[in-house]
Amino acid sequence: MACVVLSLVGISAAPAAEMVRIPAGDYAPPLRAAGEPERVAVAAFLLDERPVTNADFLRFVTAQPKWRRSRIAPVFTDEAYLQHWAGDLELGPLAPPCAPVVRVSWFAARAYARWAGKRLATTAEWELAAAAGFTRADGKNDPELKHAVQQWIAWPVPAILPDAKRARPDFNGVRGLHGLVWEWVEDFSTAMVTGESRGDSGLDRDLFCGAGAVGSRDPGDYAAFMRLALRSSLTARHTTTSLGFRCARDVPEDSSP
Amino acid sequence: MKATAWLCTVLFAAAAMAAPPPMEDCCKEAPPAGPVSARSIYQLDATFCSDTGQCLPLAALRGRPVVLAMFFASCGYACPRLVTDMQAIRGRLPAELRDRAAYVLVSFDPDRDTPAALADYRRQRALDGAWMLLRADSGAVAELAALLGVKYRREPSGNFAHSNLITILNPEGEIVHRREGLGGGLDEAAQAVVAVGKGK
Repeated sequence: MACVVLSLVGISAAPAAEMVRIPAGDYAPPLRAAGEPERVAVAAFLLDERPVTNADFLRFVTAQPKWRRSRIAPVFTDEAYLQHWAGDLELGPLAPPCAPVVRVSWFAARAYARWAGKRLATTAEWELAAAAGFTRADGKNDPELKHAVQQWIAWPVPAILPDAKRARPDFNGVRGLHGLVWEWVEDFSTAMVTGESRGDSGLDRDLFCGAGAVGSRDPGDYAAFMRLALRSSLTARHTTTSLGFRCARDVPEDSSP
Repeated sequence: MKATAWLCTVLFAAAAMAAPPPMEDCCKEAPPAGPVSARSIYQLDATFCSDTGQCLPLAALRGRPVVLAMFFASCGYACPRLVTDMQAIRGRLPAELRDRAAYVLVSFDPDRDTPAALADYRRQRALDGAWMLLRADSGAVAELAALLGVKYRREPSGNFAHSNLITILNPEGEIVHRREGLGGGLDEAAQAVVAVGKGK
C-alpha cells in the first residue's frame, strides 16, 4: 500500500513550469561553417516560461533515483553535481526551492526533460527566444534589455540564486533568459570554437573533419558571443554554479498559430 | 506461489532439454552478471539497431573488448579511413582476440543510414560478423557522442562535421584508450585491446 501511495505522489508531482509559444523566426550564428547560410530558419516552438527550479529538480530525482546525487553514475557528471543541496532529497539553505537549479550536467538536464515529456531547446531556438526584448519582439533595439544583459555579465554569481519566477518577463512572457543563469542547450557541443577539447590543438583537419571551414561573423552581440564561448568550453559532464536549464517542446501539429 | 514454482520447473526443464553448448563456449560467451560499472558507457539507457534489424542496448556488448567509432555511411573523407584504421587494429591482434573483440560503427545519420543503407555499407566494405553497424535516434546519438567526447554537427549539405575518434572499451564498457585523428596510433590502440582482452 505504501508503495502505491509513493508512486502516486511521484505521478502527481508533474513539473510545474508553464510553456510559452515562441513564434517562428531566424537565428544568425556568431560563427558558421563555409556554405552555411547566414541565417537559420527556426520553427515556432514551446519554451518553459522560467528555468527549472530546485523544487522541480527535487521532484525529478525523487521519481528517478538514479539521478540522485549519491547515485548518479560518474560517466554522467563531474563531482560537483548538486553539491549545494543539503542531501540527496533535501535542498537546504543554499538551494531555495524557487531558485533555478544549477550544478547539473547536460546528461542530467536531458534526463529531466525526457522525464517531463519535453526536450532541451536547440541553440538556434534558445537564441531566437533570447533575442526578444522586454517591450518589443526584437530586443536588438531595446535599450532596457541591452542594459540588463550588460549588468548581468558584469555581476558575480551570488551564492544563493534569486527566485526564477520573479524575473522580469520578456515580450513573449519568458523569464530569466538574461540575468539569471546560463542554460544548457541540446546541441551545445556543436559550438566548435576549437576541435575536440581533450588533448588536441585546434582545427587540424585530420582531427576534426570539416572544422577548418568555420569562419567568424560580426561579434556585435557580445552576450551571444559569451554564450558561444561558454558552450564550446563545456563537456556534457560539466556542472557549474551558474549553469542551469529549461525545457522546450515542439508545437503540437494540430495547433494553429 | 504454486504457479510460480510450476513455471520455474517448466522453464528449467525446457532449458535442460535444449542442447547445451560445449562448456568452454558457454563460459566464454556468458555476459558478466551484476550491475554495469558506474564508469561504463553502457550506463547509457538507449536502444541501438543494427543493419541486421537487431535492436539492443549497448550493454549487449558487455563481456568483449570493443573497438568503436562514430561515422556516417555517405562520408567521403574521414570515415572510410576510420574503418580502414579499425581493420588495421584488428589485424594487429592475436588470432584468438581478433574475432572475439567487437568492431562497432555507430552512425551520426539516422535519417540516411537506414538498416538497408548500413547493410550496403557492410557489403561494400566486406565487413564480417565481428562488425556491428548501428543506428539510433538522434538523442541517443548525441548522448553516445557526449560520452565518448565526439563532437559533430550536421552541415547544410546533409553531411556531418565530426571529430575522428576510435575508442577502445574494456569488457565492462569503460573507455580505456582513445585514438584521436587519422592514421598513426594503431599499435597503441591494438595494445589497449590486448590489455583488456587477456584471459579474465
